[in-house]
Amino acid sequence: MGTRDMMPSFELYQPDTLEAALDLLGRFGEDGWALAGGNDSFDWFKDRVKRPRYVVDLTGIEALKGIRETADGGVEIGALTTLTEIERSDVIRSRFGVLAEAASKVASPQIRNTGTIGGNLCQDARCWYYRYGVHCYRAGGNTCYADTPEGQNREHCLWGADRCVAVSPSDTAPAMVVLDARMVVAGPNGEREVPAEQFFIGPSIDITRMTVLEPGELLTAIRIPPSWAGARFYFEKVADRNVWDFPLVNIAAAMRVNGNVIEDARFAAGAVQCTPRRLTVVEEVVRGQPRSEDLARLAGQSAVRGATPLNYNHFKIPLLQNLVMRAVRDA
Amino acid sequence: MAENPRDRDVLGYPEPRYERSGLSDLASRKATRRQFIKGIIASGAAVSSAAYLFGCSSGERAVAPAGGVERMLTLRVNGQERHVDVLPNETLAMTLRYKLGLTGTKLGCDRGECGACTVLIDDVPTYACSTLTHQVRNRSIETIEGLEGPNGELHPVQQAMIDELGPQCGFCTPGQIMSAVGLLRANPRPTREEARLALSGNLCRCGAYDHYLNAVMRAAGQSAVSQA
Amino acid sequence: MAELLGKDFVPPDVYGKVTGKAKYAEDFRADNMCFCRLLLSPMPHARVRNIDVSEALKMEGVLAVLTADEVPAQPPPAEPILTNEPLFVGAPILAVAAETEQLAQDAIDRIRIDLEELPFTVDPLESLYPGGPDARSEGNVVDNRLGGPPQVKRVKWTAADFAAAGEDKLPMGEPLAEWSYGDVEGNFAKAALVLDETFVTAGMSHHSMEPRSAMAYWQNGKCYVYGSSQSQSFVVPDLANYIGIPVEDLVYVAETCGGGFGSKGTAYPLMSIPAHMSRKLNGRPVMMRISRAEEFYLGYARSGFQGRIKMGFSAEGRLIAVDMYVVQESGATVGFPDWPSSGETVSILYQPEAMRWRGTSVFTNTVPRTAQRGPGHNQTVSITEPLMDKAARALGIDPLEIRRINSPDMNGRIGGERTPVTSCYIREALEKGAQAFNYAERKARSGQRNGSKVRAVAVGQGFHPAGFFGFDGIVRITPEGKLHIHTGVGNLGTYSHTGTARIAAEVLKMSWENCVVERGDTRKHLPWNIGQFGSNTSFTMARTNYVAAMDALAKLKEIAAMDLGGSPDDYDIGDERVFKKDDPSTGLTYAQAAQRAIELGGRFDGHEPPGDVNPMTRASVLALAGTGLIGAARDNLPVTGQPAAFTAGFIEIELDVETGKVEILDYLGVADCGTVIHPKGLATQVKGGAVMGFGMAVLERHIYDPQNGLPGNVGLYQAKPPSYLDVPSVMRADAVDLPDPQSPLGTKGIGEPVMGAGSAALLCAISEALGGHVFNRIPVTPDHIVNVLSGRGQSHRPLQVNTA
Repeated sequence: MGTRDMMPSFELYQPDTLEAALDLLGRFGEDGWALAGGNDSFDWFKDRVKRPRYVVDLTGIEALKGIRETADGGVEIGALTTLTEIERSDVIRSRFGVLAEAASKVASPQIRNTGTIGGNLCQDARCWYYRYGVHCYRAGGNTCYADTPEGQNREHCLWGADRCVAVSPSDTAPAMVVLDARMVVAGPNGEREVPAEQFFIGPSIDITRMTVLEPGELLTAIRIPPSWAGARFYFEKVADRNVWDFPLVNIAAAMRVNGNVIEDARFAAGAVQCTPRRLTVVEEVVRGQPRSEDLARLAGQSAVRGATPLNYNHFKIPLLQNLVMRAVRDA
Repeated sequence: MAENPRDRDVLGYPEPRYERSGLSDLASRKATRRQFIKGIIASGAAVSSAAYLFGCSSGERAVAPAGGVERMLTLRVNGQERHVDVLPNETLAMTLRYKLGLTGTKLGCDRGECGACTVLIDDVPTYACSTLTHQVRNRSIETIEGLEGPNGELHPVQQAMIDELGPQCGFCTPGQIMSAVGLLRANPRPTREEARLALSGNLCRCGAYDHYLNAVMRAAGQSAVSQA
Repeated sequence: MAELLGKDFVPPDVYGKVTGKAKYAEDFRADNMCFCRLLLSPMPHARVRNIDVSEALKMEGVLAVLTADEVPAQPPPAEPILTNEPLFVGAPILAVAAETEQLAQDAIDRIRIDLEELPFTVDPLESLYPGGPDARSEGNVVDNRLGGPPQVKRVKWTAADFAAAGEDKLPMGEPLAEWSYGDVEGNFAKAALVLDETFVTAGMSHHSMEPRSAMAYWQNGKCYVYGSSQSQSFVVPDLANYIGIPVEDLVYVAETCGGGFGSKGTAYPLMSIPAHMSRKLNGRPVMMRISRAEEFYLGYARSGFQGRIKMGFSAEGRLIAVDMYVVQESGATVGFPDWPSSGETVSILYQPEAMRWRGTSVFTNTVPRTAQRGPGHNQTVSITEPLMDKAARALGIDPLEIRRINSPDMNGRIGGERTPVTSCYIREALEKGAQAFNYAERKARSGQRNGSKVRAVAVGQGFHPAGFFGFDGIVRITPEGKLHIHTGVGNLGTYSHTGTARIAAEVLKMSWENCVVERGDTRKHLPWNIGQFGSNTSFTMARTNYVAAMDALAKLKEIAAMDLGGSPDDYDIGDERVFKKDDPSTGLTYAQAAQRAIELGGRFDGHEPPGDVNPMTRASVLALAGTGLIGAARDNLPVTGQPAAFTAGFIEIELDVETGKVEILDYLGVADCGTVIHPKGLATQVKGGAVMGFGMAVLERHIYDPQNGLPGNVGLYQAKPPSYLDVPSVMRADAVDLPDPQSPLGTKGIGEPVMGAGSAALLCAISEALGGHVFNRIPVTPDHIVNVLSGRGQSHRPLQVNTA
């Protein structure tokens, strides 16, 4: 939040079909901006840091809303489905509870009432320097203000620093990763499906983006396969405040447990790198093992191997370690 | 204003003065690492204030192509149709406050963080500061001014707020009440914990949370504390 | 005896608050209103070399640009209205008016401004180091104690001072002020336990919910300002001065204030900008809507401390010696003297046998500071209360007991002057709270672990001065038989404007239905009153309303005696009549007496105001003359000593040792606020103050990047004021309810110690949960707790400020 605080002018378009929206965004190119719930967009606009000429409001596209059960036993969630709908959906709660839980921890009730799952997954980094509007690498400049000897980087990354040390701020993204969700991306050249884990990208791939979405492309739906339906789930978010805050670290886990043995598992953590971090090492450590305090502790330790803290965020190492331990122990 | 202010005499007003402090000798101190970094941020002696420190320009705007929204629209506010000229980038909070005279909807942060601007859109509590007015055409918009009955009788939540002395400074109160009304429409007999969660998107710097919850429970016809 | 005192009532302004009809500054509208926006400094310290507004002024609808050269300069280090030498990121350099708000901002984006960077600092100790940067060109430290103009000096400590202290202890170089009493060194030598602790308390923003917007216009030579202030009359002289007009030419309207917490207690320069802009536009109304970011930059903040306290205890737990040093971060402008309050707080709360206090106050290129709820007092108890627990633990004494051993009674003394207090019932508050909280039983299970969670029970105390004296009161009985109580105190949201007005009604035995509280607008002819800050209203305004009502009472009796015979002493009042004691049927109604007062004129109806009242009060009385029986008086009631308010807070928490998260399970605050005026209003203060205290203890702090002076906590989600889910769903409040003998009806202040007690109790509980004292820093956030529990060091250095 810089020193300005007033939305500039833009032209607003309100298409009611995906095709019309894609057409508009295609025509506007870099001057266009896709608007969903707006909770992220308006911040950028009011700070006048991002100044699109043309804003395409997607919220009138009914086809992008709603939760549908699919024939294979999974669900497809329209990208414009609100977080409140996801939090309250019977099918999500009963079969993919980790997502309902994650959605319920986002910001505040009003944010969840208008905020969409697509917006939550595609939201931009919350590095305070970047949000302040400084001309950092992510903003197209040639400096990172957070990754300096005196930079205030408590909220920043443990892994994947590459000119930028911002983290993924989303609560639902780790849940999508552990559910093996597939992101449906529509663009001028048609539709493609991208696994959740690959949907999010770090600075080494493109420092100015958080996802694979190219200009003119939209996330239209999320397809959750049945593979983890009804598994044991765990989600926990640790933030300073219990409302309207971003995670210091969050953890999502899915486990298939037979008797006491963990047959298979997925773990992902948020706010430790620029993308939700799939914890494949933890999955390896627990797979085929009986659940125990010792295993939980071991899993926690394995989760933080290779973590490289910045000057003000080494607390994230024990915090992530403990959250993974809890997930294994308490899921 | 009844009279033309131009008619008044020039006011007794002291001559402005500004005492400059001689700091030029300090301005070009040795180039430490700090100054080197700052030099990158703030290079260039004279730039537009918009771009100073920041990477954006003031940005001249081209004329937009046809197809954007019509500015004149009809809103359904507190049960009434209101015709209003709304800019494409106008938030509902600004339309309500500056075009429809409904100043009960407060702007505390204009960032969707405090809840003072909470209104009901089709009964759903919504931050009016973070909603474009054009997004709520054809929807039912309800503000604090719409809660009273036809003869001015208070809504039960409003009355309970008085009875429990909910407000302190009162600035967040309309938003708190709208969240509470939204809750009670969906869930007429909430537990205190349900009320607490439902109102959690409304900040109160006076810390009147406990009294607000007492009021919500009273309005729901329940004992304030026993439902904790 | 009391008909009104101690009983709940419906405050007249609460209806507007629940209906949206209450008008805050930004809710006022005027014909042809335009808008202004501010250009804020992007640099922490710079000089404006050139401003080019030509492109901006060419834009259609842009009306004017107002620069620092066009507004009255304020003597440094006072906060300027606009500046050519911005001293912090966010300092306003100029204002632009336009037909629309957006256009004003668009115009600001076209202004080209040439800034020359100047040295800056965001750490007081860096500025005190030899050769360190000065935040201001005039110097680096400021003696900003009240009672005289601020004194700016350049003070550098010696490298030897720093070397002697080492990295982890506060160096203690030349102070700006000091005092001592007793044999400090001798008592330390006798002490069974000596603690020597270096501490840091973070700066934090007020972040009132209502940003300090203002609207102004000029009409018939008068300037009308609709502002956001927690005070009314007290604002007027300074605001008139900022605008550059005599007091009588200012109409100031502040009916409702959306929170101030100290930040809107007095006039502030920003408030005058719409008036200046309007003047430039020939009086056209100008609305200056302040954004949340601007509220961060210009809405003030609490000063942080870097401090050191040495405490010597006897084996029995008596605090026999204290040596305290506080370095205050004062921000870029004059700031507020929190630092002396640190010593006063320790001296009164623990009554040390001997004490030395030293302090200094250092500029940094950070947002301006002012009083925030318990300025200095609440930082102090947040540090010293956990240290009392540390001593108790070391000496094998219960935490409640060590407070009982050291707490003051009615003979308590404050500060180096050993000033007496008007009353003190903190011991009674501790007793009452301990019983109601079931402290002993709950304390016995404190420290128990259940899974990853540890329970802890603790107690914390707060103190703040609780009253002023010497201000004026006006009451008016009209021929309609109504009592109008004119109060200039302001509307902070405590309802004490009306709570204390009821004291006049009580004295005159008026039914409350026949009373009208006049407030919120200079056109209502208000007396000179101090502002609604400093926990003073329930003392100060009780006295002013009491003396005004007593003056009215005397006049009622005089008029009755004049008309009906006998002497005034033969008369009594009741049922809104003044009547003969020995023949109650002979008398006058208040309405009749008011009519007679008008006929009599002179001092009876306000034509001859008392000689000792303030000119503002005199003008108001004269303006009211002829409208009824006027009671007007200056508070000349005797007072000896310092009015003082206290709070004891009791808390139970659960600390999760795996996440560092703390949940508050239960909280009870017990206030020593004298006689209770308004039970519900008191409850909101005790609970709400504790909520703010919880924020101070575990959530809120300033972050500044020392490399570029950028602030990291501009938005609310970054500043983190507590939400519903960060505090208990149910909180409890109580009061000792014992009268202050120097307040006519026993009342005294409330609103600040309630915050300190909440903060202190929570911090004590965190230490308890961790098995002993750990942190000499607030806030204590989850990262700090996780670092401790995992055996890691903290990321910050012990004396580092404005950091995580």
